[in-house]
Amino acid sequence: MTKNVALFVTCLVDIMRPRIGFAAIRALESAGCDVVVPQGQTCCGQPALNSGDRDHAVALAKQTTAALEPYEAIIVPSGSCAGTIRCHYPELFEHDAAWLPRAQAVVAKTFEVMAYLDEVCGWQPDGVTLPATATYHDSCSGLRELGIKAQPRRLLDAIDGLSLTPLAGAETCCGFGGTFCVKYPAISNAIVGEKAAAIDATGADLLLAGDLGCLMNMAGKLHRDGSKVRAFHAIELIAGMGDGPAIGEEA
Amino acid sequence: MSARAAILARLKCPAPIASEAAALLRAPERPAVDVTNLESEFLARLALPSVNASHDVVASLTDLPAAIARYLADQNEPLTLCCPPDPRLDVCDWSAFALHATAAPDETATLAIARTAIAETGSLIFETSPTAPMLPNFLTLHHIVLLPVSAIAAHLEDAPLPGPQPRAHYWITGVSGTTDIEGTYVRGAHGPRFLHVILLRGELPHMAD
Amino acid sequence: MSSFTTRADAALADPILKIAVERTAGTAQAKRAIAIDAFPDFEAARTRAAAIKDHVIAHLGPYLEQFEASAIAAGAQVYWAQTADEACRIVIAICKAAGAKTVARSKSMLGEEIGLPHALEEAGIGRVETDLAEHIIQLADERPSHIIWPAMHKTSEQVSALFKAKHRTPHQEETIAAMAQSARRELRGAMLGADVGISGANFLIADSGAVCTVTNEGNAELSLVPPRVHIVTAGIEKIVPSMPHAIHMLRMLARSATGAALTQYTTFYTGPRRPGDRDGPEEMHIVLVDNGRTKMREEGLAEMLRCIRCGACMNHCVVFRQIGGHAYGGTYPGPMGAVLTPTLDGLAATRDLAHACTLNGMCQQVCPVKIPLPTLLRGWREKSWREGLEPTSMRAGLGLWAWVATRPALYRLGTAIAIRAIRLLGRKGWIARLPLAGGWTQYRDLPKPAAQSFMAQYHQEQRK
Ligand code: SF4
Repeated sequence: MTKNVALFVTCLVDIMRPRIGFAAIRALESAGCDVVVPQGQTCCGQPALNSGDRDHAVALAKQTTAALEPYEAIIVPSGSCAGTIRCHYPELFEHDAAWLPRAQAVVAKTFEVMAYLDEVCGWQPDGVTLPATATYHDSCSGLRELGIKAQPRRLLDAIDGLSLTPLAGAETCCGFGGTFCVKYPAISNAIVGEKAAAIDATGADLLLAGDLGCLMNMAGKLHRDGSKVRAFHAIELIAGMGDGPAIGEEA
Repeated sequence: MSARAAILARLKCPAPIASEAAALLRAPERPAVDVTNLESEFLARLALPSVNASHDVVASLTDLPAAIARYLADQNEPLTLCCPPDPRLDVCDWSAFALHATAAPDETATLAIARTAIAETGSLIFETSPTAPMLPNFLTLHHIVLLPVSAIAAHLEDAPLPGPQPRAHYWITGVSGTTDIEGTYVRGAHGPRFLHVILLRGELPHMAD
Repeated sequence: MSSFTTRADAALADPILKIAVERTAGTAQAKRAIAIDAFPDFEAARTRAAAIKDHVIAHLGPYLEQFEASAIAAGAQVYWAQTADEACRIVIAICKAAGAKTVARSKSMLGEEIGLPHALEEAGIGRVETDLAEHIIQLADERPSHIIWPAMHKTSEQVSALFKAKHRTPHQEETIAAMAQSARRELRGAMLGADVGISGANFLIADSGAVCTVTNEGNAELSLVPPRVHIVTAGIEKIVPSMPHAIHMLRMLARSATGAALTQYTTFYTGPRRPGDRDGPEEMHIVLVDNGRTKMREEGLAEMLRCIRCGACMNHCVVFRQIGGHAYGGTYPGPMGAVLTPTLDGLAATRDLAHACTLNGMCQQVCPVKIPLPTLLRGWREKSWREGLEPTSMRAGLGLWAWVATRPALYRLGTAIAIRAIRLLGRKGWIARLPLAGGWTQYRDLPKPAAQSFMAQYHQEQRK
């Protein structure tokens, strides 16, 4: 059964690392989906929401809702953006009788990409090989707002040659926190410093996660500290694109 | 407007419905306790590092002084004891002891009788009364507690007395401890450093009202 | 007053603080995890605990009246205070009427909140803090940095030096046990000689009028039983309907705070000494304190009134673990403090606290009464935005970004320009210094963006 799904790219993937979006498309297609990228999308509004700027958060939530509602399912390669839609759009429209049902309809069909592949499609990567050891950081929004924990691990387990090493404090925040990391850089640095040390201590070749924001924070710290660990969004490996450039490597 | 009236005016709300409050207590989540084996369940909790109590068993109340003497000798303490003015203890022969009616600020050993004990947590349950002062149990270094085995109950819900409450109803679950310096556990912070429970197999005479 | 950022920077620069916080909070986190694993269905227990508190908050007025009537029937006197000052005045008046020269105080965060230590001092009443950590704080003339371990920020070396300087017969041996003994020697006489004992309340039992305190040290009992007068100061949200409700909350409190099944000493005080009793105070006074709680209930912070002051949220908070409690600048630190402090001290002076959070949700996950702390913090951020308290640069920047982001075509153009500009600064895939993003590049490198955005690349491929 083919499903018509919309990819919500997310603003960070759009600007910083498009190959995450292409990896998501590749994996979804091999799981039997027809993927479209709706034009009306930009950002889900999370920066405004978390800054207290409710009016702009609502404006972007409306734009996003309108852009995504025609599709059968909406797939997001980020736990935190998917979490914004699923957990916070209904709050934003709590007192808006016209938009609440529209948002709720979108909420019901919005999925984080790895959760969708694993739980809805029952799909696993087939014939993907990558001889490496990797460690996985559970990004907070995906973990706590959407319950994403086992899904990426199940998908990664199906990659030949890849072995996962547990990360101490895998569920502890990396200190990114959206605008937090630039508003309170010193605190954020102290937190990500500990995270980078824990990642290094695993001895893994690769750091994987499901959110580009957290990945940029951790990879940026690892690089500044001179670590050799390379960072990827887990979907890149799952889609068989783990042999390409890691975050911060020139293509 | 008085502060009372001002606060209550802002808290105008319907009176709670008793059945609603009761419904919140249906089938509470709590540690499982084997009710057919309350004594061993209780003793297992008593021995946990967090409770850290020792215990002994006597067959009848008249064996109590010997058990206390044994414990104090083991601890290299003199046979002095702060004893509550509880007539049930009159059947005991205390002639070997120097008994104190009130506790000195640095009392070595104090005896108390627990009304009940809770297997769920290893707690000993007490109430104040004319025959049961409270302060000695906190001043003493060694807290020695007599507990009839038949009085052990399963869960904390079994601890409170029904009806009007005594001046103080208190649960003791271990010795005075602190983790206030670097999270390091130290026993004997302010109160007892040792808790010794003497289980009584026989019956404790009922208190005359 | 110094700013949050200044205090946080100072905390980050203090290597000893980090060690001290890590030792205690790290242990607490590990012990809690073991306790929760061993508990049957902690998740359901949290839901129940939240429901019990919500029930009480929904019927708070009638429950307070019930508590008042029961406590009076048991012989206690009950007072009501709308503000911190009013509460302190009531306590001082009771102390004066009792001719009190010294009071023994058993740790109470409400007492700290209303500034009672300071008020007693001003009234010339001697104060003995009997909780070991509060004793350390009193000797050091500092403020608590944690609601369960007020002296968490101090290492044993610092405590040792303090006791040696201030105790009459200080410890000889450099062990924590010996230090605790030194405090025991110092405090025992002071407790027994106090005229008044002052405590907070962990729970107020509506149907019996009992006041519940919990401690592991037994200092509450030693502070409250010997003096002639017992004064309780309690927040109005401390009510529970009955003993079994308190029991459920106690199970949650101990496990969440220290990982224990129960505190060592759990005492329910109902009224003053009865005829024939051998000990206990002759008078019991209970001061019910509002100090912003009714306002919280009215203004969307009712869920915060569930809080049972267990400290789990701060023990598990990545920010607290880095900066400790003092940097928060209020009575209550960590996530719960960041929610409470704006109510107590005003949002204008404390708006930083709501932002000093990554919204990672760990605090909510461990909270035994399921307080949605991140949502409440987001609520403060919104209020701050609405009231114009956010910096102009932030407002302007976000406004411009949102204006563009709500115009997809313009947005595509904007991202293309931004990508080109940012890429100019990159070397070998990384950017080490980025203007306007100094907060990022001061500590970490920024990966260079791809040459073209996803949208641009996708359309090129579609057109092929
Ligand atoms: S907010 Fe929750 S976790 Fe934090 S102190 Fe209160 S009850 Fe405990």
